[in-house]
Amino acid sequence: MTGPATAAALRRIGAGGITGSPVAFAVALGLMALLLAVPFSHNGYLEIVFRNILMYAAMAYGWNMIGGYTGYVSFGQVAFFGLGAYCSAVLSTMGVNNLFADVALACAVTALFAILIGLPVLQLKGHYFAIATLGVALATTDIVANLDALGGTGGLRVQQVDEAHFSIYYYAMWLVALGAILATYLIARSKLGYAFVAIRENEEAAAVLGINPRRYKIAAWAISAMMAGAAGAVFAPANGFLDPSIAFSTDSNVFPIVMALLGGIGTVAGPFIGAVILAGANELLQRYFINIHSLFFGAMIVLVVLLLPRGLVWLFGMRGGARTWLKSLTVYKA
Amino acid sequence: MSATTADGVALRIENVGMRFGGLWALSEVSFDVQRGSVLGLIGPNGSGKTTLMNVISGVYKPSTGAVSYAGRRIADVATYDVCRLGIARTFQIVKPFASLTVRENVAVGAMYGRDGGKRSTRASFARAEELLDVVGLTRVAARPASDLTIPDRKRLEVAKALALDPDVLLLDEVMAGLNATEVDEALELLRTVNARGVTLIVVEHLMKAIVSISTTIVVLAEGKKIAEGAPSQVLSSPQVIEAYLGSRWVKRQEQLKVIEAQRAEAARVQPEANA
Repeated sequence: MTGPATAAALRRIGAGGITGSPVAFAVALGLMALLLAVPFSHNGYLEIVFRNILMYAAMAYGWNMIGGYTGYVSFGQVAFFGLGAYCSAVLSTMGVNNLFADVALACAVTALFAILIGLPVLQLKGHYFAIATLGVALATTDIVANLDALGGTGGLRVQQVDEAHFSIYYYAMWLVALGAILATYLIARSKLGYAFVAIRENEEAAAVLGINPRRYKIAAWAISAMMAGAAGAVFAPANGFLDPSIAFSTDSNVFPIVMALLGGIGTVAGPFIGAVILAGANELLQRYFINIHSLFFGAMIVLVVLLLPRGLVWLFGMRGGARTWLKSLTVYKA
Repeated sequence: MSATTADGVALRIENVGMRFGGLWALSEVSFDVQRGSVLGLIGPNGSGKTTLMNVISGVYKPSTGAVSYAGRRIADVATYDVCRLGIARTFQIVKPFASLTVRENVAVGAMYGRDGGKRSTRASFARAEELLDVVGLTRVAARPASDLTIPDRKRLEVAKALALDPDVLLLDEVMAGLNATEVDEALELLRTVNARGVTLIVVEHLMKAIVSISTTIVVLAEGKKIAEGAPSQVLSSPQVIEAYLGSRWVKRQEQLKVIEAQRAEAARVQPEANA
């Protein structure tokens, strides 16, 4: 997608380097700081809305690591989210109700799962990889639904804290999202981040420069799995109940991808900004236009892809105003 | 600069054959590359030059024979490990990391190349800065690689390869598509690199360029080595002329020589007859 003409168009919108625009990153961190205040509203509905935004943000960062930075478009990230959630549920049935233990176990299990699945699946490229990851998500759902130890399709109840301390789930999710943002920032600027981007840009050239593509692709996928898994680990006790349709929902698979695209893939601020806007809009539409909310939502996704092909974060570094923006619209048409 | 055998051979190509289905792209190619030398690899289109480069850089495993470097067979080494042995290459069709800046492109090489394990990100960028100066790309260091003109992309390929701190550098047509001035600049760059102790293997179509820089020339035709030696010696070899200009041309030259000789003979004889 980056022929000479499109590359020139991209340049005009301003790249902002491997982390994306620093201004956008600052905006994202500022918004995160503001979100710390949400529980003080003592509004349970608002808390759940924003906790979901943080949850989707963490998953969007997970997707961004493999899909945005490494260039392997995955449609299977929900498998990691669901497995992370089931880690908490299983610990709860064993009488362990500790969020730190939940997140630690979820990270370990999902990373291991990503490594094992990644060994064969990451040999595939492009469409083949995307379809294979979708297969992984569907297969994982079916396997979990048929395991009696995990409650089967009937699901599992997860022990919750009493209502007075319920905000602990909000803060835990906030920490998971912050961890995903900071990890992405640090990784993007490190040698690891450059290996991921080199693989995205040209795997053969990356190998000639001494990068073992297989090893680094698996690393990227394991990191992305941990981000989704940690979000799932906090989600399960916050939700209080878990079954395969909740843990492996289509929304949890698709929303993070759209959020990353809306905000700007391969940037540090993009997934968070995308999550805030998309989940926020979804919530408002659902609340005030319940009958035609899906239509609005679908139309919004189409408009975003057509009008902001590089995502919102790229606008931060844009030089030349409206004319540059109009030219940037040609980027993905060819 | 250290990883070579005692007899001064940097790289040994032994009986290398490369088969793609029913086609032998290379067969029984053998030659040594002397440490610190510049070896020119020439041959008509499709003669196997790039295939040989791919075998040497570990992209292909040869069907027969072996390439050894410092006594180690390269076929057993993964592509990403070949650069750790001290061998680097450029691509005929340049492969820049388009969305990264020129500086970042070179820094990636410095991060993961031969000494990459020891280098921090910061040190890698410092090394990239030095190399950009060597190849003359400092002026565009902060631009995305997709921005570069063709000559600059070729320079970037060289800088990325140099970032791996190689002992042996394989250059696949870095001068193709350049104009006369740019070719002179490129030759100057290669001389600078060679003077730093890097052994060069240069694949090139431009005869003038290759003759002026090479210490030894190896000629491939239809996958076989047909000549090896000093530039002047190789270029006057009838097989080489045949490979480049065709057998009819050589035959015609031979016929011309015969006719010439006959004429000379006739001219010598005739006056005698007249006398």
